[in-house]
Amino acid sequence: MSDTILSADETANAPLVRKRPIGLLFIAAPILLIVVFLFYPAIRSIFTTLYVKQADGSYAWSIAGYLYFFSDGYSLANLARTFWTTIVTMVLLIVVNLPIAMYLRFSRSPLAVFVQVLALFPMFVPGIVIVYALIRYMGPNGLLQTLLELVGITGFQSPYLTPWGPVIGMLWDAMPFTLLVLTAGMSGIATSAIEAAQDVGAGRLRILVSIIIPQIKNSLLIVTALNFLGLFGQAFMPFMLGPTSPEMMGPFMLRTFSTVRDPVQAATQATIVFAFCSVAGLAYVRSIARRRAAEVVK
Amino acid sequence: MVLRRREFLKGSAAIGLGGVATSLIGGTAFATEGVLDIFFNSDTNVIEFWSSAVKPAFEAANPGTTLNLVSGGGGASMNALSERAFAALQSGTDPQIDMMEAIGPYHPEGSIEAGLWVDFSTLGLSNMSKVNPAVIDNQWSLPYRGSQVVMMYNAEKVPTPPKTFEELIAWIKANPGQFAYARPDQGDSGACFIERALQEVTGRDESLFTNDNYTEDYANPMFEKLWVLLNDIAPSLYKGGEYTGGNTPSIQLLASGVISMTIAWSDMALVAMNEGVVPETTSVAQLQDLAFIGGYSSVLVPTVAANKDLSLKLADFLISPEVQNKVVSELGGFPSINWSEMSPELQEKFANVATTSIPTFPGPWESHLFDGWYRNVASNLTR
Repeated sequence: MSDTILSADETANAPLVRKRPIGLLFIAAPILLIVVFLFYPAIRSIFTTLYVKQADGSYAWSIAGYLYFFSDGYSLANLARTFWTTIVTMVLLIVVNLPIAMYLRFSRSPLAVFVQVLALFPMFVPGIVIVYALIRYMGPNGLLQTLLELVGITGFQSPYLTPWGPVIGMLWDAMPFTLLVLTAGMSGIATSAIEAAQDVGAGRLRILVSIIIPQIKNSLLIVTALNFLGLFGQAFMPFMLGPTSPEMMGPFMLRTFSTVRDPVQAATQATIVFAFCSVAGLAYVRSIARRRAAEVVK
Repeated sequence: MVLRRREFLKGSAAIGLGGVATSLIGGTAFATEGVLDIFFNSDTNVIEFWSSAVKPAFEAANPGTTLNLVSGGGGASMNALSERAFAALQSGTDPQIDMMEAIGPYHPEGSIEAGLWVDFSTLGLSNMSKVNPAVIDNQWSLPYRGSQVVMMYNAEKVPTPPKTFEELIAWIKANPGQFAYARPDQGDSGACFIERALQEVTGRDESLFTNDNYTEDYANPMFEKLWVLLNDIAPSLYKGGEYTGGNTPSIQLLASGVISMTIAWSDMALVAMNEGVVPETTSVAQLQDLAFIGGYSSVLVPTVAANKDLSLKLADFLISPEVQNKVVSELGGFPSINWSEMSPELQEKFANVATTSIPTFPGPWESHLFDGWYRNVASNLTR
């Protein structure tokens, strides 16, 4: 595996693609849009967090906003909660979706189609509907609790308004996307490779660890990176399903901006979130670059 | 600032209706004899209420009259309409506006001094004596429907609702886990609860809080007292100090039976009760010492309206018990006339909500109050 990557990198460096100005012309419009509507406001916003109004009304360079954030226990608790929620949700997404993806890849049963449709279903339901439905379903005295009590399980503690509330909501929300990426990765695994391994006596676990996981490594990386980006900035699920405090960064930023009416501190929080997310973004871009390089080799 | 939730709804409706309103403002229709042009700032549910409850009855009682109900399309468009009325007053022409709904008389500047709006206090409308004096904000606005924050509770579990804030606190402590209020920034009902609590710890003196007197030095000592009170009741709240994510989630918790009392907007509470989404035994009550915050929507009549006499007849009809009963039963609103004028059936049902005061709370205070709440009250929950 590592051999392929090395050679791929080398090939990518070679001038294989001819340069055509007409191609650049095609991407000029979208790039212009990105610059005007994304980069420029983003840079302006970061600038406002660093070049701030002083007490005497003049403007000066300052990192006071950042110092405040990293010395304020309340903000740090919110950041920690955001990391916890994001990572727990990400891990659960893989744990839930990997077996489904494998089932869809290897099953020939007509049930597989049904399972796929069912797993993609959340994509077609708007988030606000889900949130209210989840509150009624898993909330206190909700349907879930009633059903559990019917079979004799009492003492159900509703996850609603606890840190697990948003985890469940976001798990539902991000499931179709995760499954789509994983099944796409799975489809690249050759049946012959698995059969060959079976022929030499490899067990199921060995096949999973040595054949399937290495081949879908890229998909796992992509799904992890993109889920991180999506989950880290979530605002809606956390404030509807989660506890009041600590808040996730999404609702915290929103509240700082609209209720506390402190746009500079909100922009500072956003820049910090952006810094963490850019790490995930970088991992995603690297993974894409690697895959493209590998394709060039083929 | 009082009806923020509503203003938000109005704002979003305005985006959609803006286009319609612009074409209306620019229109060249002439006022027709007997056709009352009424412009609404309220949402479509209010206009629907007018078309089903007000329009048919008024038109039947006044043959040859037609009510033309027009959505004004939000604050900015309504302001433009007020300006049109003002311009018509100055030039002595017909503004083609006979009544305006749910706006204040203060725009454009100088309109009151110039006598743009009819002064209801001097007109002697036959139903004027029935109007609850506590709901009248100024003599140019005739309040006809209201919404106020109330205690919403399950009467089966709470046979006698608290009458004062002190009793409410005592009830919360005596019934741990049975009370919840919304986070102040997520639902105005929660905001009203902590604002009422602030008024309580500062001696129920509304004059302490004005639009321009917030300073940290002035507010912090009062806030400190508030945090003590709210932290004191926190362990007795739902889940030992958890707060719901808005007005509707509060009602949902009550509906699921897991709590016995919450704080809600009267109109949302009444709609939930009418639709049966909460238990049959659900009821609402108002504090009798100093009520929770609320607000009333009024109508204005321009003095230059072509059909002014007919408009005033309509205004009088709006505050008649006939329409006011429907404000409660069909719109889920609060009446602007005294409860004693209402139908006995409604009087009995809402015996606990009759109010003698309608306090307000200044907006500029809220950002500091809410953030302080998050830092000093909400973050103290230990799991």
